[in-house]
Amino acid sequence: MAHFAKIGLNGKILGVHAVNNSDILNADGVEDETVGQQYLERLHHWPSQMWIQTSYNTQGGKHKSGDDSKAFRGNYAGIGYTWDEDNNIFYPKKPYASWVLNTTTASWHSPIGDAPDDLTDEEKAATTYYVWNEDAKSWDKTTL
Amino acid sequence: MEKKVLSEIGLYYGDVTMPKGFEIDRNKLQSDILKSQINNTKFPSSRECNKLNTYLRDHINLEYKFQLVNKETWGNFYKPKEISVPLLNIDPVDLRNAPDYTLLYGVNVKDCSVRIHYNDNRRAGRSWDIPLKNNQFIMFPSMQMYYITNNQKDSLNFILTITNESF
Repeated sequence: MAHFAKIGLNGKILGVHAVNNSDILNADGVEDETVGQQYLERLHHWPSQMWIQTSYNTQGGKHKSGDDSKAFRGNYAGIGYTWDEDNNIFYPKKPYASWVLNTTTASWHSPIGDAPDDLTDEEKAATTYYVWNEDAKSWDKTTL
Repeated sequence: MEKKVLSEIGLYYGDVTMPKGFEIDRNKLQSDILKSQINNTKFPSSRECNKLNTYLRDHINLEYKFQLVNKETWGNFYKPKEISVPLLNIDPVDLRNAPDYTLLYGVNVKDCSVRIHYNDNRRAGRSWDIPLKNNQFIMFPSMQMYYITNNQKDSLNFILTITNESF
């Protein structure tokens, strides 16, 4: 099964459609994104160039198999994601105004990096975790 | 202090901005409206109607996070200077089978306006006027009564009405 993201005029993903592998084979019997795009254009009356193939097994620039050379276009596209044609990636909505996009991993990161990995066993047992404080631009501990 | 909104009367409207070369053929819709009105038949499903519904379903889901499912579709034309009768697309004694939203689409309109009636708490009997232009839509809860007015004296106004359930 192949998956194609339907792109809106503003680059936002409107939906993800599954296509049978046999519907994206070219004349040589090889899977070809262009064939899938043309198939979807005929089916949904939405331009072929606004259907972009996406990988169900890619997340955050990594492939679920562990072989990151197979990672394809950063993330599996979802409704509301953005298609970045220049960097050839799908990325999710920006979680906080100050966060910056890493186009290699197709993910957002805080301006001071990821949350520290310094929780003690007692804190973990007490379900303490870090949350981003956008006002202070810092990672703050909180407990459920 | 906190606040919880239990209910709202949302009015959704805008252009149907299709990609270049894939625009909705409004002449086809107009012709279908005429045929269905003259022959007194159901509005036919068509590629153009499907394109419109898909566009609206995709974009409402993207922007407002709810799904629309079509219930009924029909078309009307309004004569010059005509004001419609009060329109209400629900049966008050059969709300179980009533649609959630009424959607109006401007197929071929000129100087057309829609007056939507609503109650604002104890301030009952208020109304909101909104113009409907070609290739624009207006969607509002089907519980609201509305009128359609053709304000000019030269041509017919063709409007498609689509009722939807929402999830």
